Amino acid sequence: MLNKLRLRLRALFFKPKMEDELQAELQFHLEKEIEENIARGMTPEEARFAALRSFGGVERVKEESRDVRGVRLLEEVWQDMRYGARMLFKNPGFTLVAVLTLSMGIGANVAIFSVVNAVLIQPLPFAEPDRLVWAWGNIRSGGDSIGVSPVDYLDYRAQNMTFEQFAATFSIPTYLNLTGAGEPERLEARAVTGNFFQALGVNAALGRMFLPENEKLGSERVVVLSQELWRGRFGGDPSIVGKTLTLNGNNYEVIGVAPPSFKFPQGAELWVPMSFDADPGLRQRKAHFLRPIGRLKPGVTLAQAQADMDAIARRLEAQYPESNAGWNLRMVPLRDPLVGNIRPTLQMLFGAVGFVLLIACVNVANLSLARAATRQKEIAVRMALGAGRLRIARQMLTENMLLALTGGALGVILAAWGVDLIVAFIGDNIPPIAQVGVDRVALTFTLGVSLLTGLLFGLAPALMATWPQLSETLKDGGKGAGQSGLRNRTRSLLVVFETAIAVTLLIGAGLLVRSYIRLQHVNPGFDAANVLTTRMNLTYAKYDTPEKAAAFWGQLHDRLAALPGVEAVGMITELPLSGQSNSALFTVEGRPPVLPGQEFDASFRRVNKDYLRSMRIPLLRGRGFTEQEARQNAEVVLISESLASDVFPNEEPLGKRLRIPQYEPTSSFEIVGVVGDIRHHGLDYTPYAAMYLPALSAGWMNLAIRAAGDPMSLAAAVRRETRAIDPDQPIGAIRTMEQVLSESVSEPRYRTGLLGLFALVALILAGVGIYGVIAYTTTLRSREIGVRLALGAQSEDVLKLIIGQGVRLALAGLLLGLGGALSLTRVMKTLLFGISATDPLTFAVIALLLVVVALVACWLPARRATKVDPMIVLRSE
Amino acid sequence: MKKTQTDLLQGTLDLLVLKTLQSGPTHGWDIAQRIQQISQDVLRVGQGSLYPALHRLEAQGWIASEWGASENNRKAKYYKLTAAGRKQLSAETETWKRFTGAVELILKTS
Repeated sequence: MLNKLRLRLRALFFKPKMEDELQAELQFHLEKEIEENIARGMTPEEARFAALRSFGGVERVKEESRDVRGVRLLEEVWQDMRYGARMLFKNPGFTLVAVLTLSMGIGANVAIFSVVNAVLIQPLPFAEPDRLVWAWGNIRSGGDSIGVSPVDYLDYRAQNMTFEQFAATFSIPTYLNLTGAGEPERLEARAVTGNFFQALGVNAALGRMFLPENEKLGSERVVVLSQELWRGRFGGDPSIVGKTLTLNGNNYEVIGVAPPSFKFPQGAELWVPMSFDADPGLRQRKAHFLRPIGRLKPGVTLAQAQADMDAIARRLEAQYPESNAGWNLRMVPLRDPLVGNIRPTLQMLFGAVGFVLLIACVNVANLSLARAATRQKEIAVRMALGAGRLRIARQMLTENMLLALTGGALGVILAAWGVDLIVAFIGDNIPPIAQVGVDRVALTFTLGVSLLTGLLFGLAPALMATWPQLSETLKDGGKGAGQSGLRNRTRSLLVVFETAIAVTLLIGAGLLVRSYIRLQHVNPGFDAANVLTTRMNLTYAKYDTPEKAAAFWGQLHDRLAALPGVEAVGMITELPLSGQSNSALFTVEGRPPVLPGQEFDASFRRVNKDYLRSMRIPLLRGRGFTEQEARQNAEVVLISESLASDVFPNEEPLGKRLRIPQYEPTSSFEIVGVVGDIRHHGLDYTPYAAMYLPALSAGWMNLAIRAAGDPMSLAAAVRRETRAIDPDQPIGAIRTMEQVLSESVSEPRYRTGLLGLFALVALILAGVGIYGVIAYTTTLRSREIGVRLALGAQSEDVLKLIIGQGVRLALAGLLLGLGGALSLTRVMKTLLFGISATDPLTFAVIALLLVVVALVACWLPARRATKVDPMIVLRSE
Repeated sequence: MKKTQTDLLQGTLDLLVLKTLQSGPTHGWDIAQRIQQISQDVLRVGQGSLYPALHRLEAQGWIASEWGASENNRKAKYYKLTAAGRKQLSAETETWKRFTGAVELILKTS
């Protein structure tokens, strides 16, 4: 068996050598025969003749010996490939256009596939990821997906029977100021339960990870560093484990370093254990700020876990109706929340690139059909000489496969570059768990797509090439090369088809562009121009009283306000559009008491006096805070317009008092002013009721500094002034408010940009397709046009004739595409903002755009047709 | 022609070639000569069928080939029996004997 294989491989790859050997062997035989004949007394001449005669046909012997090798099919394929390659080299124009078109289509697919694969398909980088589950806190009365309160979490953890580990993290990062070792730095930490790393199945790269006992008092001052922080800040110090860091003024022992790929939750630079014993904030049932992650016991399904948790939720409800009425947990696979909003976008893009590839296929099929027509004579001759239909079809298919594979190879190069581009484009919206790159899976995908592509665009021309009536083509002498109606119709249909796809894509992109423009024109409620922002967290150990904090913020405000070029220095606990948020339940003093769960709810912010001025948020009624009120935590409050209309629909809100027991259990706050609404959560979110309390005593603040000119020019001064007050005080990233605004719409932006790019490619390809068909048929009709011109037709008539033909195709494609878009863009609804999925303006503009492109694509060949000199054309026949 | 020459039956050539090679490696021309001599010129192997047969047997792994020097020092391709070929030879010999025996029986009784 092995021997046979060896022989065949030899036969295939060492063909010249094998041939030489065969020749030598037969030569030897012949010479022996001649010698023998001479020995019998013949003359050399006779001897040679007799030997040759007895031998029979040398070539026949050779052929039969070759057949024995059993590689005929492979040899033929090899022959086809060499022949195909020769034909492709002979036609560099065709080859170049076809390969480029295919590589664009394949490259786009591979690039998007690489992202899809990394984000949606590859298993999460945790041990046995199928058993990992995420739990959302859920209010049954139509509540949103939010967190779980710490005490509820402990109950779920203790009572469940379906989880091997039930862990949790804080829903928001904790910022810790690292001091004492070089530059002070503000680090993003996550508080996690002691079993968090066990649940995920992540082991330490160095030292060890947390254990359940780290939740206990006395063993909670420990940290695990991320690989990046360890390598960056600590230079990969191999003896880091056991060292002590000063974080927020407290000493923490480093017990371990996480493995390189571990970045969860997103952005975490280090992890600290949640100490249920030490932290009084973790003893509440009403604040839902934990995000549980569980590892199911082997063999347990998600539905079983859900049923288990539902039973616990019902018990808790019965036990603690005041806090737990209506609350339960909703279990989802861990991937869902990690992937988040990017899933529908990626699905849409993957669909779009699929369409682009389809268009590329159609274009190349069309080119290939046109070329097959001009090769009619060659094919007819080969068939006349005895080549089978199948043999010729196979040869054409081989040629097209060769094209597809070349296109695929080039596509991979484009994709490698495209993936970088997409990753740069999508940026932070790619979940950090995903390692995006053109990997082995993607390469396999490319090969598959290339072969499929080759089959798709290669089969029709291959079959059609063998269609024509042989004798007619030969009689015809190959002139005007047998343009059968069938082939023409196929080409026209293909153009209609690709135009329809392009229209569908264009409308999808058009809708996104319109949404994005709408989004850009949304008034956020503040003026982002010329505002510099940064966030600072005070080290609690140093600023352990409200007075000390207030003194720091007051001093910082005064120093910054005194800088030249600064118009106002605003401070707020939660900056709009930055992802920071906080809300509070409140009641109105003097109204009858309400049942728990029926309080009003509003965004809760603390600001300084100048915040409204620096963000240019309009004061609609009443007054702002005085400097006195702002610095002394006076019992006054500003409310937003929407809060005023929600809570005081027919009343004068000014002078009323609000109670916010959650944060200020002993005070009530007088409403002194009503301010404009802002879009805090995102430009596409409707404004939410908000209240602003004066306070400079908070442990963290965002600065919003309005500058007279370029705000970034103030960055160095802000750092300098902060250092001057407290050299240990770190500063967060300094960004302009415009950057914050722009980052908040990065998702719609990349989505629009990428789909727009693909739609543009589709439009160009469709235009090229129309051009190709019209140009080709025009060439074929040059004789007819010559006759028309000779008989007195004007060049306008010829223009009309040619353009009419192309426009008819384009219109058919347009109608089909509009229909397709009507049904397909529905699935994009969630991605649109402010317009419907059947937005008539978008449909109209795209239709117009397509007609214009079609006209241009037809006009070029039509104009050439009018330049036809009738005499030359008629004589050439 | 002194004697009647017989065309080889389909499939018997393989057997003859294998048998000839049993006595040691040799080249194609020699194989043809030996078959002719031993059969006393009754069997003549057409070169046109000998070489395809040799290549076929080689492809099946029953014989192997290598280049060597002939009696008068010319380059010639030598064939030799492989282990699998030896087995094949005894199997085919067996089949042949059964076949000719059966034919003989029929011829005798009629």
